[in-house]
Amino acid sequence: MISFFDVTKRFPGGQVALDRVSFEIGAGEFVFLTGPSGAGKTTLLSLILRQDLPTHGRILVNGRNVVSLPRTKIPFLRRSIGVVFQDFRLIPRKTVFENVTYLPRILGLGSEKQRTLGYETLRRVGLAHKANAFPLELSGGEQQRVAIARALVNDPAILVADEPTGNLDEDLSDEIFELFREIHLRGTTVIVATHDRDRIRRAGQRVLVLHGGRLVRDGDAPVENSELEPVLSRGENGG
Amino acid sequence: MTLGKALYYFAREALLNLFRSWKTSLLAVTTIAVSLFIGGFFLMLAANASRLIEDWKSEAMVVVYFAPTTDLNEVDAARSLAGSPAWVEGVDEVTAPQARERFRASFPSVATLVEGWEEEPLPASLEVSFDPLLVEDHAFEAWLGELEELPEVELVDDDRDWVDQLELALQLVLGLGLALGAVLLGAAILTIASVIRLTAILYQDEIDVMRLVGATEFYLRGPFYVEGLWQGLLGGLVALGALFGGFVAVQPMAEGSLLLGTMGTTFLAWPQQVLLVGVGAVAGLLGAIFSLRREAI
Repeated sequence: MISFFDVTKRFPGGQVALDRVSFEIGAGEFVFLTGPSGAGKTTLLSLILRQDLPTHGRILVNGRNVVSLPRTKIPFLRRSIGVVFQDFRLIPRKTVFENVTYLPRILGLGSEKQRTLGYETLRRVGLAHKANAFPLELSGGEQQRVAIARALVNDPAILVADEPTGNLDEDLSDEIFELFREIHLRGTTVIVATHDRDRIRRAGQRVLVLHGGRLVRDGDAPVENSELEPVLSRGENGG
Repeated sequence: MTLGKALYYFAREALLNLFRSWKTSLLAVTTIAVSLFIGGFFLMLAANASRLIEDWKSEAMVVVYFAPTTDLNEVDAARSLAGSPAWVEGVDEVTAPQARERFRASFPSVATLVEGWEEEPLPASLEVSFDPLLVEDHAFEAWLGELEELPEVELVDDDRDWVDQLELALQLVLGLGLALGAVLLGAAILTIASVIRLTAILYQDEIDVMRLVGATEFYLRGPFYVEGLWQGLLGGLVALGALFGGFVAVQPMAEGSLLLGTMGTTFLAWPQQVLLVGVGAVAGLLGAIFSLRREAI
């Protein structure tokens, strides 16, 4: 589903964001991506979404080499990937329903189909009753659920979330991760970048640990937080 | 998505943008309306003046003035020569007393100028009307020369001279007007470009999100292009409305006034109206294309 082959990303100033990173994520996997701030998590996700290009290496997403993907094909790649951000990134001037159905609308689906998809997806995240509200009228947890609905509306093969609970309290974070778990159970490949070590431990899923741009661990979730400490604490204050 | 649906989506988003940023949109619409008003004003001026000049041309005459003491009974040679060419439609004789009466009637405020003279102050003349379509320039000039050389003839006045000069002056004014309109239109295009650019910057975050969820450049840029088109279209309609308002206001005063008559007797023809609004729309679209040309929004 997603393959990184010896991927390096070096920024113009010379800073190395990713250093010869290789891994494979199969269809239907749930993977946590973790590491200290500045470890390269967001850069890695931006490469999957083809927001950026690697300096070196090859990246396959859904069988497509995203490095050589023409600009005109990028939107079609992105339509197969749902994306969720820490700061929700909803369009404030559009209603919840309009935010969620933006992609079906630009795909040219009929209004009845848009309506069905929109309400079905909002029902999945428990917000069908807020369809006509505007994002700023919602709580943080509700806004993130709308963002997840937007990511899911096109039934993507992959869901990518970058610190999705970074702005939420513990209870709301639980709700959001429960949603991710349900999405995963339906067969979607889910990649979540997070600092939340307790949650990684409790989830018991595969974990990719980045540190200083290098992939320092790729395996099942550690049983105890202490197993992650040696890897994470080294770069914790490194930005 | 079909093109029809896409255009509907663009039009809707563009209208929403117009209303949301109504102050900057108003600026863009106003600048384009002013430039098109000026262009349209000169176009209307030219159309009316051209029609007036055509009327004058069709009524143009050659007037053969005789020396003051000449008796019309002694000008057979001139009368015969004046009436001989094929383009001549008629030759009217105006005696000296008739000329004096005409002057009094035409210029009553200075009528005293022709009173109290021992002899007639104005000369007798022949007024030669002709069909401009039958005139051959070289032969016409030669004919005028022959008339001027007759001993009894003092002056041969060809109306076409001043009509031609007037036409030239009109073309000059029209050219200057259209140049001014073009410069202002250029400024309007730049204004629209700036307004569209500002709107794009204002909604950059939203555009980034739309791009990340899979919107193509066509869908991201479309609403901005249509927004420019709306602004230009609105500017054109406002200019047309203002021109029509001005025309209606001037029309009652136009009759009998040479100056207002050149502006207020006929409004722009349908094709010119469509052209004016069309130029506005194209200018708006060009502004939008220009604003989004250089970099990805």
